[in-house]
Amino acid sequence: MAAPRCPECGSASLVEDAHYAQQQLVCASCGCVLAEGLLTTTYTDEEHLREVAYSQSTGQKEQLSRCLQRGIRRVQDLCKVLQLPAAFEDTAVSYFQRALQLPAFHLCSLEKKEVLGGCCVLVTCREHNWPLSMGTVCSLLYARQELFASVFLSLQKELQLSVPALSLADLVTTHLSSFRLLQPSANIPAAFLEDRERLLGRTLGLVELSRQAWLVTGRHPLPVLTAAAFLAWQSLRPGPRLCCPLRRFCRLAGVELPPPAHLRLRELLEVLLAMASQLSWLRGFKLDKKTVVKHVGDLLQHRVFLLRKAFRELDGDEQDTAPGQGSPGQDPGCPSSLGTQAQGCPPAGKRPGGPLRLLLPPCLLHPRKRLRAPAPSAVALTGDEPISDSEIEQYLRGPEELQAFRKAKGWL
Amino acid sequence: SSFKDDFSTSPHLFTPMSPYDVELPIQTAEDGVFASQLSQSKELHTDFSSVDLSFLPDITQDNKEQNLSEDGHGTQKELDGSLPSNEDSGVSTDESSLSHPGTAQPSPEAPDDCPPLTPMTPVTPPTSAESSGIVPQLQNIVSTVNLACKLDLKNIALHARNAEYNPKRFAAVIMRIREPRTTALIFSSGKMVCTGAKSEEQSRLAARKYARVVQKLGFPAKFLDFKIQNMVGSCDVRFPIRLEGLVLTHQQFSSYEPELFPGLVYRMVKPRIVLLIFVSGKVVLTGAKDRSEIYEAFENIYPILRGFRKPS
Repeated sequence: MAAPRCPECGSASLVEDAHYAQQQLVCASCGCVLAEGLLTTTYTDEEHLREVAYSQSTGQKEQLSRCLQRGIRRVQDLCKVLQLPAAFEDTAVSYFQRALQLPAFHLCSLEKKEVLGGCCVLVTCREHNWPLSMGTVCSLLYARQELFASVFLSLQKELQLSVPALSLADLVTTHLSSFRLLQPSANIPAAFLEDRERLLGRTLGLVELSRQAWLVTGRHPLPVLTAAAFLAWQSLRPGPRLCCPLRRFCRLAGVELPPPAHLRLRELLEVLLAMASQLSWLRGFKLDKKTVVKHVGDLLQHRVFLLRKAFRELDGDEQDTAPGQGSPGQDPGCPSSLGTQAQGCPPAGKRPGGPLRLLLPPCLLHPRKRLRAPAPSAVALTGDEPISDSEIEQYLRGPEELQAFRKAKGWL
Repeated sequence: SSFKDDFSTSPHLFTPMSPYDVELPIQTAEDGVFASQLSQSKELHTDFSSVDLSFLPDITQDNKEQNLSEDGHGTQKELDGSLPSNEDSGVSTDESSLSHPGTAQPSPEAPDDCPPLTPMTPVTPPTSAESSGIVPQLQNIVSTVNLACKLDLKNIALHARNAEYNPKRFAAVIMRIREPRTTALIFSSGKMVCTGAKSEEQSRLAARKYARVVQKLGFPAKFLDFKIQNMVGSCDVRFPIRLEGLVLTHQQFSSYEPELFPGLVYRMVKPRIVLLIFVSGKVVLTGAKDRSEIYEAFENIYPILRGFRKPS
């Protein structure tokens, strides 16, 4: 930067001088004041075109407690790591400041305060429909899931927030972008590489199918996502990929394999197999869990129709009980052979593939609890029945027992 | 008997046989007692014949077996055999529905004496035409009572067989009795908490038994300020529920975080009850001080859940 000159006398000899406490840039020859250090901390800062933050120059930070400062810094770091838009940072910091003032969080442990910062970031992301799962935040903060859960719920209650639900479709998009199978790499065979858009489209279709088949409600979202992504990837090029198990797929993709993913995969394959039994051009084949993967594309394309045909609804309007009526609202994309088949659909027992199963959540199809019949109460109690002495005495220790017990306790 | 006089003055559409319905098990109404009571009440209330009972499903033994084979949900039907899965169909208003009523009415035991508990508002499980026909079952009652004397917990733990006392873990004696099957926490101040009973009367009887045990151990225990603090009920709406849809339409009341808990937590404002709603259709209601709050809360939530019955 060229040496500044005094506007009045043109001299180049400028000195930085302090007039009382105020920094001033003064010309040595004529005494003209060029600049006063009001808005910047030092002239050198401004000279080097470095922006001096308002918070630094006005002592705003000193008004905040050190704990709050540290917490705000953590929240800001978290936002930067997650590459969130700038607006999210301010919202998250404001939530954090509000929360920390409340008695519930003011005196809690440092660990909890850090988790609170993570919760504020999560709430901000949810409100802007930015898909961020709790698992991700927990792993970034090295926080325990139970602690995170309790802090999140109490934050919701204290600040009276209604946090929108996690959008599964958006989560698919962000989760898939972290998959390493989308770019060429040394340890990934060429046959395993996949185009991002194709994988995304098919995974979204499978996730939507899972949602309709009650596989998503009440369950962790990530295992379903992982299973759907795996099936989608396999189905896009079944030949070389069918032999690759789920564990290896996750290792190659560089993502964690959540334990329930195997179960979700099995459930999803069952649904696909049931649907495949209704596809006329597949009836001839005896499909199993491996071979049905090849036809996932077709199954997804006619998903709406197949779901209705392959499963019974819980309500009375089951199509198989009314063979006279045609299946209403058929998928217009399906070939005409399917249409005639549907109109003449046989009752449940004679349907190829055995009797239809109900489209229900797996917890209803395979109830694990042995449901106890309600204990019948023979007599109407009033609560004031007489209590016999013998009944009470059965709960009291006799003298011999007392002695024996005392002796036994003495040994302990 | 005298109890009938209490109700003759207030002609409800259908009144229970006792103000506090003791047990409302979801059973098929095959007991003859039920049918006979119903016919008795027909004599009592003349407008009973005009009551529209068409909402009651047509429950017969054959119906139950048919439903079993239909969807193969044997285990489910054993418990709640009274409600067929296709409850929209099969509604009839002929005599058979009157003689085999559905679960809407409570099964009245024969209370020959006046109930000593002061009846508050008549606790009627709603039986209007739009009601669900499902009655939540009480699963747990928590009550407190003041024994009004200082207690030596070590002494109690020594002399009572059914007591456990670990002062390092918890500063109270944990005592259990077999009938009614309950657990009590007895504190040295003389206050006691009784949990595990399935009805208000059971809770009161159990609390009295614990007080009697403490009395027999030599303490001048009284029985003051018995109060029901919390009641938990549960029931099954018999169809799966789209929780993600429910949380969208009732966002201000619901909290559904599948990453944290598989059920949806619905905080109802009136009555102030918390409901846990699961995808299987099972509903847990808690936070009630009175049984009517549980019934009311369920009747409020049932039409909302019905709205989510059809899959998207």
